[in-house]
Amino acid sequence: MRVNDAVLGVLLLGFAGWVWWLTSFFPAFPGQDYGPSLFPRILAAGIAGCGLLLALRGLRARQRLLTLDEWVRDPARLVSVLLMPGAVLAYIFVVDTLGFIPTAFAILLVLFLWFRARPVVALPVAAGVTLTIHWFFAGMMRVPLPRGLLDSVL
Amino acid sequence: MDALIQAFGLVFDPFVLGVIAVSAVFGMFVGAMPGLTATMATALLVPVTFFMPPVPALGAIVTATAMAIFAGDIPAAMLRMPGTPASAAYADESYAMTKKGQLNLNMGVNLVFSVAGGLVGVAVLIAAAPLLAEVAINFSSFEYFWLACLGLTCAVFLTNADAVKGFLSLFIGLLLATVGIDPSAGAPRFTFGEVELMQGVNFVATMIGVFAVSELLRGASTVRDAGHVVVQQVGDMFRGLGAVFRRYWFNFLRGSAIGTVIGALPGAGADIAAWISYAVSKRFSKEPEKFGTGHVEGIVDSTSANNSALGGAWIPALVFGIPGDSITAIVIGVLYMKGMNPGPTVFTENPQLIYAVFLIFILANLIMLPLGWAAIKSARQMLRTPRNILLPMILMFCIVGSFAMTNSLYGVAIMLAMGIFGWFLEEHGVPVAPLILGLVLGEMLEQTFVQNMIKADGNWLAFVDRPIAGALGVATLLIWAVMIARGTGLLGARRAAAA
Repeated sequence: MRVNDAVLGVLLLGFAGWVWWLTSFFPAFPGQDYGPSLFPRILAAGIAGCGLLLALRGLRARQRLLTLDEWVRDPARLVSVLLMPGAVLAYIFVVDTLGFIPTAFAILLVLFLWFRARPVVALPVAAGVTLTIHWFFAGMMRVPLPRGLLDSVL
Repeated sequence: MDALIQAFGLVFDPFVLGVIAVSAVFGMFVGAMPGLTATMATALLVPVTFFMPPVPALGAIVTATAMAIFAGDIPAAMLRMPGTPASAAYADESYAMTKKGQLNLNMGVNLVFSVAGGLVGVAVLIAAAPLLAEVAINFSSFEYFWLACLGLTCAVFLTNADAVKGFLSLFIGLLLATVGIDPSAGAPRFTFGEVELMQGVNFVATMIGVFAVSELLRGASTVRDAGHVVVQQVGDMFRGLGAVFRRYWFNFLRGSAIGTVIGALPGAGADIAAWISYAVSKRFSKEPEKFGTGHVEGIVDSTSANNSALGGAWIPALVFGIPGDSITAIVIGVLYMKGMNPGPTVFTENPQLIYAVFLIFILANLIMLPLGWAAIKSARQMLRTPRNILLPMILMFCIVGSFAMTNSLYGVAIMLAMGIFGWFLEEHGVPVAPLILGLVLGEMLEQTFVQNMIKADGNWLAFVDRPIAGALGVATLLIWAVMIARGTGLLGARRAAAA
């Protein structure tokens, strides 16, 4: 999936402008010429420059506004791709309530099954991977993985 | 001498050796699986090594990357699918050899010349790094400013992408590095009132996002229809190697030299080293017409080059704190986390750690021989690992790894955002390596820049007053000039005329 270089360039110009605007709120120190806003402003100018070049080039090349790949038109593949960020989002939203073990197990199981693993394989592997990760990170490395529902058991 | 003995003690410790062995197997596996790269292996290792002392942590990264770069040759030869981008340059050539029935010889050449090339890279690292450190000890903020500039410029110059997009990626990376508390005045920038953003954009979570999650996004669309792969069994891979070495020893030396130099140049790593040395090999070959038909010559050059690049990349990383490639960019992050700020002073303050890194490099390349042999022999089984099980597992590992870096969901959110962003950039032909280098070097660049501006007080000549700073500055400006010339077509026309 790609957008036209001209569109990308215009987006970048807008982004650079926004960054510049944000830097105007940074504190200035009297007698100090080179304050916290100097470096970000140079970068914003650089991004704007790249955006301008891309926009000019895009206009000259006359590409399509949006080029879609094969997989966007195939619903099954689209779901496969969206499931990856979807799984991370789901993790972010439910892990504190459910706890790491149930969340990770559910996410792995759903992904395995959607990717056509046989249930006989998917179930034990999901359980095994979840418990191994939990043992390694929570047990060995002392990472405070959320306990959630299993708080009383662990 | 004491430091060397101490280093032996640090490395030959059961725990460290165990970590090296496990990461060797891990690196082999990740490298041999198409779609999983050496950089990704490193990004996934960091959360694990975060909790270890410096020597095993560095040992894990050195070993895993060395193995992964070699192991990428295995599926390249068997399936025409490079296991890591570093093997892409000669995947077609390798596969053509396999089709001619020379899989055994091909695997032997890849293994032995990878080991030998790796050892050359290490030898140069051991010889050059302490010497450079002695020079670097006198560097002021002017030299470091230009070094950072030169490194970042090389990162853009050496990627095959177009320069505008390379610079765009670099500027975005540098801008990301400005998030958080500003280094000179202590003012919060781009934090939007979020406390978590005060500490800056977490580097490891960003790496995992850009190098692993974006790769998973690309891989996900084809998981469901992946068929089983069929590969042949490898026989005696060492037969005929002596003849290859006697005939192509110069190619081996040239490939290793090119690899080490490209690796040491900031921003370019094993993949570019392989491309360049393959091209050089073809250009200077006595039989260039054989290239592409399964000819071993180009493979000797490039398989030595990509492994020697690994050692080379550590030279600027250890001496100046400027990464030679995206792997050492991660290493520098790790060094900072361990309180071992890379730079010339490490060589005098902690020489035993530097020697330990050297020893691990040698060790890693030596165990590559038996382990690589075992990996080639078991490639049939390894390449049969179903991707529909592997991808979700890696995703879960990414989530937990980024969580562990911040002990909060902030790391996971950064990873997701950066993963989607990195994927978006690569879809548009914007390379992500300059972004990562920008993020690593951003603070140093800004700090030295602002310091220099204050010191110089408006006098721009102060930037090039000192001899080394002047030379570095001129080199940087020259590369900019070449890039502008290339962009406006001045050089393009001449090259077209030559070809």
